[in-house]
Amino acid sequence: MSTKPVFHKTNKSHPWRASIKRPPTPDAEEDQDREPTLQEIINIKLIESGEKEKLKELLRERLIECGWRDEMKALCRAFTRKKGRDNVTVDDLVRVITPKGRASVPDSVKAELLQRIRAFLQTAAL
Amino acid sequence: MQAQPRCFPRVSISPVSVALSTLMSGPNGDDMPSDSQNMFFVMLVVFPMSIVVCVQLALHVFGDLLDSIIVDVASECHRIVRLGLERNLDEEEEELRLSAQARARIADPSNNVEANGKYVVDIFGQTHPPVANEIFDCMNCGRSIMAGRFAPHLEKCMGKGRKARLKATRSSTAAQNRYSRGSPVSTYSPYSSTASINRLSNGNPRVATGECSNGTVEEP
Repeated sequence: MSTKPVFHKTNKSHPWRASIKRPPTPDAEEDQDREPTLQEIINIKLIESGEKEKLKELLRERLIECGWRDEMKALCRAFTRKKGRDNVTVDDLVRVITPKGRASVPDSVKAELLQRIRAFLQTAAL
Repeated sequence: MQAQPRCFPRVSISPVSVALSTLMSGPNGDDMPSDSQNMFFVMLVVFPMSIVVCVQLALHVFGDLLDSIIVDVASECHRIVRLGLERNLDEEEEELRLSAQARARIADPSNNVEANGKYVVDIFGQTHPPVANEIFDCMNCGRSIMAGRFAPHLEKCMGKGRKARLKATRSSTAAQNRYSRGSPVSTYSPYSSTASINRLSNGNPRVATGECSNGTVEEP
């Protein structure tokens, strides 16, 4: 796609960095060819207007109120007890929490947030 | 088991978004998998395109928010666990083990409840004497009392019981009689009926009522 030469570090030029093999830096031109998707546009608008932060705070507050957060913490604790304190990584915990977490959000919380987001979409974008 | 949030949503929830959110099982990844695509087309039949796209976008945004909150919770739990701030981590299994042990000990028939004589072994393996034997001082009279004997002692000490009340009222009515009537000191209490019955030795059991206030014996 790109006709520009790509530079790799070779053994001859940098013997002490022989193990580094970096992928070529992406060209700036490639980004401009791609159309930003609707989702990306909306995301940018959300962030720029500060609405994303407000929505996140609202969601966080609702989830704490309804006990969702405590359930997730209990899941983490149970998993940690099984796996051993020093073997746990953040990725493990995210993987453990995500399916249960997504499924157990109360409907009222979800509906409230969706309504807020839709209201924002109607005023800002569409 | 999820508690309701304290306040209801302040914005009105349109039935469209509720219906759509319950139809769609949850936020998807960036690429629409096939069943979500089917759902998309199914919904297009019922709702106009603009609403369907809007709801899909909203679900995607919601999914983003939820994912970032999940990562926050996970990283906080990770931090607490790795820093050793979670002190209950091993305690709970220890307690579970102990309580299971205690329960086993009770269920075990060979373990004595009566075979040990007066002493009963409780689930922690402790025995308690039938009368509490700690000794302290009564705050009313100042004597040294054993804890198991404290309640009867207080009855006498503070005048709740029969004899103590007799003692108290006897001295007070005696004082009254001495001052007002000049008659010999009467041993009859105006309140206590059984005492009157006991002392009437002439075989005349007469029940003294509460109104009998002069305290002298009347021959019928």
